[in-house]
Amino acid sequence: MSDLGYYALRLALVVAILGIGAGLAGALRGRAEWTEVARRSLLTLLALTGVAMAALFHAFATFDFQLEYVASHSARDMPLFYRLAALWGGQAGSLLLWVFVLCAYGAAAVVIHRRTAGRLLPWVTVTLIANALFFLVLLNFVTNPFEKLPPDRVLSDGAGLNPLLQHPAMMIHPVMLYLGFVGFAVPFAFALAAMITGELGTAWLRATRRWTLFPWLFLSVGILLGGRWAYEVLGWGGYWAWDPVENASFMPWLAGTAYLHSVMIQEKRDMLKTWNLALIGLTYTLCLFGTFLTRSGVVSSVHSFTAAGWFGFIFLGYVLVAAAVFFGVLLYRRPMLRSEHRIESVASRESMFILNNWVFLAILVVVFWGTLFPVFSEWFTDRRIQVGPAFFNRMTAPLALLLLLLTGVGPLIAWRRATPANLRRQFLWPAAALLATGLLCVLVFGSRIGVYQLGLFSLGAFVAASVIQEFARAIAARMRNHGEGPFAALLTLFRKNQRRYGGYVVHLGVVFILIGAAGAGFNEERLENVAPGGSLAIRDYELRYLTARPLPNRHYGGAQARLALFEDGRPVATLAPEKRMYWLQEQPASIPSIRSTLREDLYVVLTAVEPNGSATLKVYRNPLVNWIWIGGITFVLGTLVTMWPTPVREGTRRREGR
Amino acid sequence: MSKGWQIAAAALLVGGLLGWYGATTLEEGAFRYYQTLEEFRAEGTPGERARVHGYVVSGSIARDLEARAVHFRIQAEPPHAGGRPDDTLAVRYASLEVPDLFKDGAEVVVEGELDPSADAGPVFVATNVLAKCPSKFQPDLDPETASRMP
Repeated sequence: MSDLGYYALRLALVVAILGIGAGLAGALRGRAEWTEVARRSLLTLLALTGVAMAALFHAFATFDFQLEYVASHSARDMPLFYRLAALWGGQAGSLLLWVFVLCAYGAAAVVIHRRTAGRLLPWVTVTLIANALFFLVLLNFVTNPFEKLPPDRVLSDGAGLNPLLQHPAMMIHPVMLYLGFVGFAVPFAFALAAMITGELGTAWLRATRRWTLFPWLFLSVGILLGGRWAYEVLGWGGYWAWDPVENASFMPWLAGTAYLHSVMIQEKRDMLKTWNLALIGLTYTLCLFGTFLTRSGVVSSVHSFTAAGWFGFIFLGYVLVAAAVFFGVLLYRRPMLRSEHRIESVASRESMFILNNWVFLAILVVVFWGTLFPVFSEWFTDRRIQVGPAFFNRMTAPLALLLLLLTGVGPLIAWRRATPANLRRQFLWPAAALLATGLLCVLVFGSRIGVYQLGLFSLGAFVAASVIQEFARAIAARMRNHGEGPFAALLTLFRKNQRRYGGYVVHLGVVFILIGAAGAGFNEERLENVAPGGSLAIRDYELRYLTARPLPNRHYGGAQARLALFEDGRPVATLAPEKRMYWLQEQPASIPSIRSTLREDLYVVLTAVEPNGSATLKVYRNPLVNWIWIGGITFVLGTLVTMWPTPVREGTRRREGR
Repeated sequence: MSKGWQIAAAALLVGGLLGWYGATTLEEGAFRYYQTLEEFRAEGTPGERARVHGYVVSGSIARDLEARAVHFRIQAEPPHAGGRPDDTLAVRYASLEVPDLFKDGAEVVVEGELDPSADAGPVFVATNVLAKCPSKFQPDLDPETASRMP
C-alpha cells in the first residue's frame, strides 16, 4: 500500500509537468482542447495526491513502521484518531497535505469556473499546477513521506507523536491553517491570470472575492483554535505568545483582511485596482512564507528545531520566485490599472477604508519585523536578538485601537463625501456610547485601568453601538415598509444584503475578541506552595488543596491534584490540574484545570508535587478570556452569513451597500 | 502638492511615529538577546543584566521549598551530545515554577545577573528561565530510546 503512495507521487510529478505544458499551449495558442488537457491534469493530480494521502493514512492505521515517517510520528499504543492525525504531525506529511489541499481547491476552481473563466482558465490552471509541482518536487526528492528505513533499523514500535500535540484542537488546527494558507492560491492564480491576459474587468474580481472568503475563514478558525490549544495545553495561562509560528499564520490573515476590505472600494468606485492585486499577491506570498517559517525552523520557536538546511533554501527560493513573477507582471500591467476616480474627501468611506488598509499593513510590518528580528540582527550584528511579546503588545495596541475606531466609523460614513448632517445622524448614538462607557470605566476602575484597556472598552462600545444602530434602523424600516415582524426582518436583512449585515456580525465578533484580549490588563497570578488541607487565596476565591493521586495511564505518569474551589466562602467547583510525564518522549506537561465564567477564568496549574506531599500551585485569574472564544464563534457565524450561497444569480445580484 | 506627495508625506509621518514609538519600546527592554555561556564568561559583568544560554547539568536540579527557589547548573554543550560538565555556571532561580521542558539536559536561557560574592561561590541569580526541548518535533530515531517503552 505504501508503494502505491510512493508511485502516485512519482506519477503526479509527470502529470504536473504535462499539465503545465498543455496549459501553456492552450493559453498561448488559444487552443481549447489543450486547456482541457491541463484542466484534466489538475483533476488527475487531485486523484493522485488523494491516493498518496490514503496510502499514508493506511500506513499510520496499520502500523507500517517500515516507513521512517510513520515510525517517527506514531507509536503502537496511540489511539487510531491520533495516529491518523499524525499524518500532519511532521514535515513530509504536512507538505503532502498542502499539495492535496491545493489540488482540491484547484480542481474545485477549474470545475466551477470552467465556463465562466474564459481566457483566464488556462493561466489559472497553469499557476495552480506550477505551485503543486513545487511541492511534488519536494515530496519526491527532498522529504518523501514514503521513504523506507533500512531493514536493520526498522522498529517494532514507533517513536510517537509529541504528546503536547495529542489534543483534539491540535488535530484540526493544522488542517484549518492549511485550508487557509493553501486556499489563497486560487485568488492568487485568478489575479495572475487576469494580469497576464489583460482581462482586468470584474470577472476575476468576483471570483477572487468569493475564493478569498473561504480560506480567510479557515485561517481565522485555525488561528483561534491554535490559541485555544495553547490556553488549554501549554499551561502558561495565556493563549497568544507572538511565537513565530503564530505570527506566520497571523501575517497572511492581516493582508487578506486588508484585501477583503479594500476590494469593496474597487467594486463600488472602481478604484485601487493595483493595490488590490498587490494585496492578493502579498497574502499568498505570506502564506508560502508562513509555511516556510513553520517548516524550516529559520526562527526558533516551540515548533521547530529542524535546521533549515537546503530544504529551507529551495523553499525560500520558491517563495521569492512566486512573489517576483506576480509583482513583475503587476508592474508590467500598471498602465492598464489606472483609475479615473479619485478620492473626493478625507471624510468619506473610501478614505476610511484606505486608512484601514494602512493600519492592517502597519500591524503586518510590525509583526514581520518582530518575527524576523533574530534573523535581521544576526545579519547585521552577528548576534541573534529576539523580540519579546512586550514589543508586539506595545506596538500593536495603539494600532488595534485605531483599527477599532475605523471599524466603527467606516460603515457609517457616507461614500464620496460626508455631510455634517450625515455625520450627526450616524454618529450621535455611537459617540454617546463611547463616552458613557469610558466614563463608566473610569468611575468603576479608577486608576487600575490602563489607557489601552480604557480605549478598547470605549471604542468597543462605539463599534457595538454602531452595529446595533444599523440593525435597528434597517429592521425598523422593514417593519414599517413591509409589515414584517422584527425577527423576520432580521432574516430578510441577512438574506438580502448578506455581505453588509454578515460583516457587521463579524465586526461584533472582533469587538468581543478585543475586549477579551483587553482583559489581560487585569490579570493576576499567584504562586504558592500548599500543604494538603491548606489553601491559597486569590481575590474572592479560596483554593483548598485536598490531595494528590498518581495518574493511572499507560502513556504518561505523574500526579493529579484535587482542589476544592470556594468563591466568597461557597464551594463552586472541584479542580484537577495534572502534572504529566510522557514516558516515551520523556517529556513533562502541565495540564491546567480551568474554571471559566463570562466574567473571568480561574486557571490553575500544578507546578509540582513536592517530595513532602505539598503541592506547588500557580494560579491565574484571567478576566474576560471567555469573550475571545465567544467572539470567535460570533466571527465565524458572521462570516458564514456573508458566504452563504444566495439563490439570486450572480449577474443579477444587487449591489451591496448603499 | 499633488495627491501622491500628500500620501507619501502622510505615510512618512506615520512610519516615523511608529519607528519612534518602536525605539522607545526598545529602550524599555522589550528586546532581549542571549549570550552563550562562553560569551558570558568572556564579556559578562557582575551585576549587569544578561541572558545566558546553556544546558542543564544532569542531576543538578534541586528545589528549595523553604527559600522558594530552584538551584541548578548549566553547561555549554548538551550532555546528550557528549558535552561534559567541566565548566559550569551555578544558577539560583527565585521561583518554584519552572517551564515544563526544564529538566536534565534541557536547553535553557536564563535571564538575570551574576552575583559573584555569594557564600558558595559565584551564582547567577535568574529572574526568568526559558527552556527548549532538546530533540523533539523531528525525533531522532534512536533505537535505544524507542525500545525503552513501558
